Amino acid sequence: MSQQALERAIQQIGAELAASFPSAARHPMRALDSRAMELASSDRELRAALFRFVDVAPACRSLDDLARHLTGYLGEVSETPPPIAAAVKVAHTKAGRAALGAAAAGGVRHLAHRFIVGETPGAALGVLRQLWSRGVASSVDLLGEATVTAAEADAYARRCADALADLAGTARGWQARPLLERDSVGPLPRANLSVKVSALTPLLRPDAPALGRIDAARRLRPLLHEAHRHGAHIHIDMESLDSREAVLGLVLELLGEQEFENGPSAGVVIQAYLRDSGEQLEQILDWAASHSRSQPIQVRLVKGAYWDHELVQARQHGWPAPVYEVKAECDRNFEALTLRLLEARPLVRVAIGSHNLRSVAHAIAVNRQLGGQECDLELQVLRGLGDELQDALASRGFRVRTYCPVGDLVAGMAYLVRRLLENTSNDSFLLRMNEGDSIQELLAAP
Amino acid sequence: MIPPFANEPVLELRRATVRAEIDAALADLDRTLPLSVPVIIGADRRSGADLRSTDPGEPERLVAQAVRAGSDDVDAAVRLARAGVAAWCARPAAERADALRRAASWMRERRLELAALQVRECAKPWPEADGDVCEAIDFLEYYARGAVELDAGRALVQVAGERNELHYVPRGVVGVIPPWNFPLAIPCGMTAAALATGNAVILKPAEQSPGCGLKLVEALRAGGVTPEAISLLPGEGDTGARLVSSPGVHMIAFTGSMQVGLEIIRSAAERQPGQRHIKHVVAELGGKNCVLVDSDADLDEAVPAIVSSAFAYAGQKCSAASRVLVHEAIFETLLKRMKGAVEVLVVGQAAELATEVPPVIEREAQERVARYAELAAADGQIVTRAQPVPDHGFFCAPTLAASLRSGSPVLSEEVFGPLLTVEPIRTIEHGCDIVDELPHALTGGLFARDPSTVRYVRARTPVGDLYVNRGITGAKVGRQPFGGNRLSGTGSQAGGPDYLLQFVEPRAVCENTMRHGLEV
Repeated sequence: MSQQALERAIQQIGAELAASFPSAARHPMRALDSRAMELASSDRELRAALFRFVDVAPACRSLDDLARHLTGYLGEVSETPPPIAAAVKVAHTKAGRAALGAAAAGGVRHLAHRFIVGETPGAALGVLRQLWSRGVASSVDLLGEATVTAAEADAYARRCADALADLAGTARGWQARPLLERDSVGPLPRANLSVKVSALTPLLRPDAPALGRIDAARRLRPLLHEAHRHGAHIHIDMESLDSREAVLGLVLELLGEQEFENGPSAGVVIQAYLRDSGEQLEQILDWAASHSRSQPIQVRLVKGAYWDHELVQARQHGWPAPVYEVKAECDRNFEALTLRLLEARPLVRVAIGSHNLRSVAHAIAVNRQLGGQECDLELQVLRGLGDELQDALASRGFRVRTYCPVGDLVAGMAYLVRRLLENTSNDSFLLRMNEGDSIQELLAAP
Repeated sequence: MIPPFANEPVLELRRATVRAEIDAALADLDRTLPLSVPVIIGADRRSGADLRSTDPGEPERLVAQAVRAGSDDVDAAVRLARAGVAAWCARPAAERADALRRAASWMRERRLELAALQVRECAKPWPEADGDVCEAIDFLEYYARGAVELDAGRALVQVAGERNELHYVPRGVVGVIPPWNFPLAIPCGMTAAALATGNAVILKPAEQSPGCGLKLVEALRAGGVTPEAISLLPGEGDTGARLVSSPGVHMIAFTGSMQVGLEIIRSAAERQPGQRHIKHVVAELGGKNCVLVDSDADLDEAVPAIVSSAFAYAGQKCSAASRVLVHEAIFETLLKRMKGAVEVLVVGQAAELATEVPPVIEREAQERVARYAELAAADGQIVTRAQPVPDHGFFCAPTLAASLRSGSPVLSEEVFGPLLTVEPIRTIEHGCDIVDELPHALTGGLFARDPSTVRYVRARTPVGDLYVNRGITGAKVGRQPFGGNRLSGTGSQAGGPDYLLQFVEPRAVCENTMRHGLEV
């Protein structure tokens, strides 16, 4: 198939997916009142003020405290729209602050329910089962505070072990969903947990990756055994570049050991926004080629969520930017890595984590072009941000897995927003769709 | 045309390829040790082995041996500088700037070697040693530009019939007396500021780091600073004292302890026979730096930032955090997390990249830290001091203390080591009151997310450098001018736009232009 034919296929698949989206009225940020959403998306300062508020909410001690912070942030917005100005005015009295604080706290919880599937894995099981019954697989991510002590790392590891047991125990009772639990290589676990190495050790040091790698291994090793025992999948998330060497080194080292040859199912992440992501992928493919595992390692390709962080850090230190600074370059790299990954099967299992309609359509088209089956390509989205895409993909018979944060609503929302706050230029397909870009523009080749 | 100033990029040590280079650099350096540090006055060099500088992590390792400059050396250096300063300051500012920028290039070409020397001579861990070399380069580049700018003078009010001009001339001979903890950057900053503005410099490096002092003089000479304009006098306190009291010296630039700084100010104020000027002293002294943590702080951010500010380089920075004042609502939570974070600190040799807490500089320092730790135990409670540390080399266990009685010397005196105290405050206002009572005012920190709290502390704090929601060390040249107030210093800030004014005298000229045939 020629490049032109591929391009036609991408356009067609993209258009079909777009047509399967729920109606435009239910746009991706519907959790916010439409009025608030309109205000917030029209004004970056206001959006930043609201993000800062959600970020600080768990640290506020009273309704009064909440209201003072909210009005403090709104006070820094240069042109406050009338409803916001009214809210600021209300906060001049103690009673007004209590009312505003209560409303704001309610707002945060309201918002949190859209992104967080439950306060504990147990509480999330209902939502996960519903997703499963609608043809959507999941991966659970346990939200929590940063790990700065050994005790915190131990506690996170315990939460992970408990989550594996909960998920695996319950998922056994779910109805059969062949598309979600088998590919050409073999069975796929129903229970799927995403794990952050930065939470498994307080010793991640960018200049000394071995220190964190060795400490995290002490806690990851038992988790891999647990996952194997329960028949669950463990996915090791990738975070900022500072920890990449430790994370990848840790995973490849442990999974390469003989004791894990027959499981568990496990995966790593490649971030396409990194300029050297191609080399990283080759490293993983070389590793996969030299290690025989009964279940191939899954590689989740994502754009990367720390773009602003990476760029700011590089600028502050005078380093060359490790990330692509032009979106189109990043998108082109994403497509190149997609092709490389799909060609490398069955050495690896492939998951494409993107809300970019073009990137998703491209992966599907390339998979077909290579003669791959639909079940050999997994598509992944984020809970609360990719819900429409998730439904569209599921309805068209693709295996879609939704990344589901679990944790305290208010604190958990703050962790999520912190990522958004630090990465406000990570504007994606979603915002562009919100802003009314046409489907042709969204599907254009990068 | 000189390109705009930008900070020298620090090594990207998170990359394995960069890390691979540093071990080789250390091995290369080791083959050249011990360095011999002579007295350098003009073209004359006199070597000797009166003083030894050793590796604090391995005290048998001799890093440098230096001659001790005596009073004759000081007098000779001052005479030469007085005679030679005219030629140096007669050079156009742009030429002097070029010499400094060539010195910066010389350092840039030897970055790893210069950092390795600090690893050995001062047990400064690699990232910090590399940061120090970058800062030295930054000072050269920044002051070179600043001096060219200053050379143009400043605009004055002009009225018909007169022409008013303001320009700046160097003070003359500057004695530079730096500490060992930033063994290249601080001597380089003070020296570069003096040279850029046309002064002659006599450098008396810290007795713990003469090797780094030698490298600075080599860089400046290689860059084209005239031999008369830069002399090196290795020695101890008496060499420095002689330099300060010399009637031929116009200015002293000092960074170090409060005690020595006050003595320098006293001595410099005493007019010596034959002295026809008032000596100017720039002194950067110690700190007792507090970090305020409000109840709305993000502890995920605050804990690592505070721990690193207090314990990196074993707390041996004048900017290091030494007291945490935390809102009582989160006191227990913060203390628990701090305890855990201190317990996982890696104590080890400076050459190891994993090391966060290296040995302190010398036995006296080790004993001083131990004394303060005992005092903290007597006046309060040691929260953690659990780690066994290597018994060879001058290691100190990172110590976290709390519940100290008010009035304990641990709360007001500079420890200059890996000891941090934590205490609850009722409100941020209460915390500011405590900061206000301290004699020092160098750096300070604030963790808070209410914009009005940030405004309040900004308005109230006396410190020279306030850091909000980040660590309180690591000031960057041109970005965070550095220097404190009260007993922390004379109020000049290194690496800032005003610093060079300390090294010059203003000269105003008013010329009557009535008979110049100019239009009114």
